[in-house]
Amino acid sequence: MPMLSSFFSSPWLVFGTAILFRLALLIYGRWQDANSPIKYTDIDYLVFTDAARFVARGHSPYDRATYRYTPLLAWLLIPTTWDTPAIPNHVWFDFGKLLFAAGDIATGWLIMRILVKRKGMSVQQALKYASLWLLNPMVANISTRGSSEGLLAVLVVALVWAVLEGRIRVAGMLLGLGVHFKIYPFIYAASIWWWLGSDGVPEGADVSKKIKAMFTKKRIALATNSFLTFMALNCVMYYFYGVPFIEHSYRYHFTRIDHRHNFSVYNTVLHLNSAHSTDSSFKVESIAFVPQLFLSVGVIPFLLAKKDLASTMLAQTFAFVTFNKVCTSQYFLWYMVFIPFYLPSSSMLRNSRLGLTALVLWVLGQALWLQQGFELEFNGKSTFVPGLWLASMLFFGINCWILGVIVQDVGSQAGLERTVANPQHKKDR
Amino acid sequence: MKQRITYVLPEGSRVESSDVKVDKDSLKFDRADEAAKEWRLTLALNDLPDEVREGCSWAVEHLANRSRCKQYSAIVMSFTVPLCDLLRKLLGVTAKCHSIQESFSSTPKIPERLAITTTWQYFQYAPLSSRLGEIFLSKACNTGHPDLDACAFAVRDLQRASYVEFDFEAIGRKLEFTAVWAPQGPKQNRAMARRATRMIRRPKTGERTEVGTLQVEKATEAEELSLGGFLTVIGEDDHPSKTLFSFPSRHHTLPGSSPVTFAASFQQPTGLHPKFQIKLPRQQLTPPKDTCGLHAYWTLPSALFIDRYQLSDPLFLASQNLVALHSLSGEQDLEAPNWVIEQWGSAALFELGAPPSSQIGSSTQKSDWIITIPTHLRYLAGPQKPTDTSGHASVDVPWPIVFWACEAEEGLEMSNNPFDRVDLGYDRLFGPQTTFYHIPPAPKVNTTVEEIKVPVLDSEKAEWVRAGTLIAVVAGFAWICWQLLRATSGQNFKAQKQKRK
Repeated sequence: MPMLSSFFSSPWLVFGTAILFRLALLIYGRWQDANSPIKYTDIDYLVFTDAARFVARGHSPYDRATYRYTPLLAWLLIPTTWDTPAIPNHVWFDFGKLLFAAGDIATGWLIMRILVKRKGMSVQQALKYASLWLLNPMVANISTRGSSEGLLAVLVVALVWAVLEGRIRVAGMLLGLGVHFKIYPFIYAASIWWWLGSDGVPEGADVSKKIKAMFTKKRIALATNSFLTFMALNCVMYYFYGVPFIEHSYRYHFTRIDHRHNFSVYNTVLHLNSAHSTDSSFKVESIAFVPQLFLSVGVIPFLLAKKDLASTMLAQTFAFVTFNKVCTSQYFLWYMVFIPFYLPSSSMLRNSRLGLTALVLWVLGQALWLQQGFELEFNGKSTFVPGLWLASMLFFGINCWILGVIVQDVGSQAGLERTVANPQHKKDR
Repeated sequence: MKQRITYVLPEGSRVESSDVKVDKDSLKFDRADEAAKEWRLTLALNDLPDEVREGCSWAVEHLANRSRCKQYSAIVMSFTVPLCDLLRKLLGVTAKCHSIQESFSSTPKIPERLAITTTWQYFQYAPLSSRLGEIFLSKACNTGHPDLDACAFAVRDLQRASYVEFDFEAIGRKLEFTAVWAPQGPKQNRAMARRATRMIRRPKTGERTEVGTLQVEKATEAEELSLGGFLTVIGEDDHPSKTLFSFPSRHHTLPGSSPVTFAASFQQPTGLHPKFQIKLPRQQLTPPKDTCGLHAYWTLPSALFIDRYQLSDPLFLASQNLVALHSLSGEQDLEAPNWVIEQWGSAALFELGAPPSSQIGSSTQKSDWIITIPTHLRYLAGPQKPTDTSGHASVDVPWPIVFWACEAEEGLEMSNNPFDRVDLGYDRLFGPQTTFYHIPPAPKVNTTVEEIKVPVLDSEKAEWVRAGTLIAVVAGFAWICWQLLRATSGQNFKAQKQKRK
C-alpha cells in the first residue's frame, strides 16, 4: 500500500497525527464533561487535581482520600490550580491531561530513536512499530482521560534508552525515580544488572575473584545512583509530609488486598479468605509473591536479559502483572510500551496466525470477564463463583500461554545485545 | 419520680368535662382510645436499676468535671462499655456496637450553633427488645398493683409505642423517659387499651402525676400549635381545670387539606450501585413558605454508602433532581468491604430539587416527580446460614425523612414547647430558628423499609476455588519455566532451524 508506506516514512505525519488525535480527544473530553452527567475524565484525575489543590494551598496531598501516589505527581499538577487572565482555571484544569498526552508522544519518539539506532531499523520501519503506541486508541484514551500511566511509560522507555546508550548514571537516576513513582520498576534493576554483564575472569580463578568480578563499575554505578535517587526523593517527601507519605505511597500498596473484583487470578481466593477467615485458609496473600518475583526478578532477567533487554523487560512486566494479586486494565499499559521492541523479532509477527490468535484470545479473555462483571455490578447477579472466578482463571491461562511464547522467542534469539562500546548490528527481518 | 400523661384528640373533637372523672387518687378518661398519648416519666438516678445507673453516674461525675478535663473524647471513649452493652440488650446481638469511638459516628458541627460538644449518633433498623421497659423501669415501677398501675402497664405496652425517648440530664442527675402512642386503630387492641388506659392511678409513693386531656385547636399565630381541654394533678385537684394554651413548634405537618405523601423504592435490578428513588406528586409540591427548601434525611446501614465526590458535580446533581448533598457523616470509605467496617453506617442530608413552579398546578404534568439518589454497596460477607445457597444476602434500608425546612418567624421561642423534641439527627444541621414541615410516607405495603438483595460470594464453593486457583497458578508457573528452559538450553539447535527458514 503505497499511501500507507509514504505515511510511515514521514515522522512529521505520524507524530502530527498522534498529536492531533490526542488534541481531538482532549477537546471531545471537555465537551462531554460539560454536557453530560457521564464524564469522560477519569476519577483518578479528579483525585490528582484535588490533591494538587491541597498542595497549592500549602497542605498535604494526602488530605485527599484515596490519593495513594507520590507527592511529586500532585506537585507536577499544580498548574491545574492556576487561574490567569489569559487562561481561565477551567482550561488550566486540563493541564495534567496535556502533560500525560505529551508523555505519550515523548515515549513514541524515544521508541523510534531506540529502534533506529540500536536495532538498525529504517525510520519507516521504526515508525510503524512506534505507531503501535502512538496511534493506539487505548493508549491515547487512557492519557487524555487523565490517567498517569503515560508518565511511567516515558520513564521506563527513557531507562531503556539510557542503558542502551551506556549512560548508566542517568539510567540509575531514572530507575530510582521510577520506583519512587510506582514501585514496580524495581524489577528492571534485575534485567539491567544481568544485561550489564560481569567482568571477564581468567580461567581457574578462585571464588572470591569470581564474586568480585560480578560487581563491575557499571553495576555499582547503577545500584548507587538508583538507590541514592530513590532515598533522596523519599527523604524530601518524608520531610514535607511525614508518615502519611510512607503510609499512602508505599505501605498501602503492599498491604492492600483489593476485594473489589479485578482480573487477577487470586481475586476470588482473597475475597473468600477475607470474608470467611478460617484457620484452615491457606495464606495466599503471603505466598503469592513467590511465583511472581521468582519469574519477574529471578529467572526471566537471569536467562534472557543479555539477549534483548527491552524484550526481557516486556516478559518481566508481563509476568509481574499476570501473577499479581491485583490486576486492572491500567496495568496493561506497563507492558504494552515494550511491544514495539519485542514484535520485530517475535514469532507472532512471523507467524501471523499465531499473533492474531494471541491478540484475539487476550481480548476475548477480558471480554468474558467484563461480561461477568457487568452482570454483577448492574444486574446484581452473584457471578463471583463460578463466573468471575473461571473467567479470571481463563484470562490467567491465556496470559501464561502468551508469556510462554514471548520467553520462547527471546530465549531462542541467537547472539547478544551490545552497548555502544561493542556494536553488533542485528539484521532487520 | 414525676409522671406527666397527655392525651390529645385530633382537631375537630372536643373534650367535655364529663369525659374526665377525677377521684381522690385516680383519674378516668373515657375517650383514651381515640387519643394520641404521651407518657413522660422523670426519674432520679436512684430510681434506675443498677446496671443503667452505673453508666449514668459515671457520666455524671465526668461530665460535671468537664471544665477541668482536657480530653473530652477520652471521657466518651471510656463511657463505651455500659452504653454498648445496654444497646445490645435493647436491640439484640445484631447491634453493631463495640465502643462509642468505633461504632458511633460524630455529627459535623455547624458554625452558627454554639455546640461545644460533639454529638454522637447511632442508628439501627431493629425491633426493640420487649425487655426495654423492664431494663429501664423495673425499679421505678415496682409499686402498686400491676394491673392498675399506669406505670407498670405502660411498660408492658411499650412494644406498641410509636417512639420512646431517653433524655439523660447530667447536671440535674435525672433521666426523662418519654413514650408516645398513636391513637388506636379501628378495632385492634381496643378492648385491651380501653381497659388499661382509661384509669390512671397515682402511685402509692405519692409522686406527682399530671394528666392532660386535650384537643387540638386552630392556632392563631403562624407556626404555633394550640391545645385546649383540661389539666388535672391526681391527688391535688378534685376536678379538672380548663385550659387553653399555644406554643411555637419546630415540627409541623403540611398546611392545607392536600395530602401530599412520598413513596420510595430502589430501581430494580439494584446491582452493586443501587439507585434510590423518591417519588412525589408533581402538582401539589408547593413550599409552605417562600424561604423553604425541600430536604431528605437518610440514615444508611454500613452495607450501603454514598460517594460524596460523585455528588459534587452540579450537572450530575441536576440530572438526578438533586440540589446538593449538604451533609454526610459516618463511615464514608469508598473501598472497604463491610466486614471491616466498625461504624453503624452513615447519615446524609440532601436538598432535593422541586419541580419548576410552572409545572406545579398544571394539569398537563400528571407524572410523579422523581428524585434519584445514587448509592453503592460494600462487599458483604456471605449469608450466615449454610443452607442459604442463593448467593445473595439481604440488607434492610429504612426510608428517609422528607420535609420542607423553612426559616422560622422572628422571635419564636421554640423551647417553650412542652412537647419539644430536639437532636433528631437532622435538626442540628440547620440553624436554631428553623421550622420543619413533614411530608409523610405513603407506603404501598405497610412498611417503610426497603430490602435489597446483595450478591455475595458463597463460601460453599470455597474449597473448589482454593484448590483450583492453586492448581492454575502452579500450572502456569511450571509452563513458563519450562518454555524458558527449552528456549535457552536448545538455543543452538533453534538458531540453525531459523537459518534454514
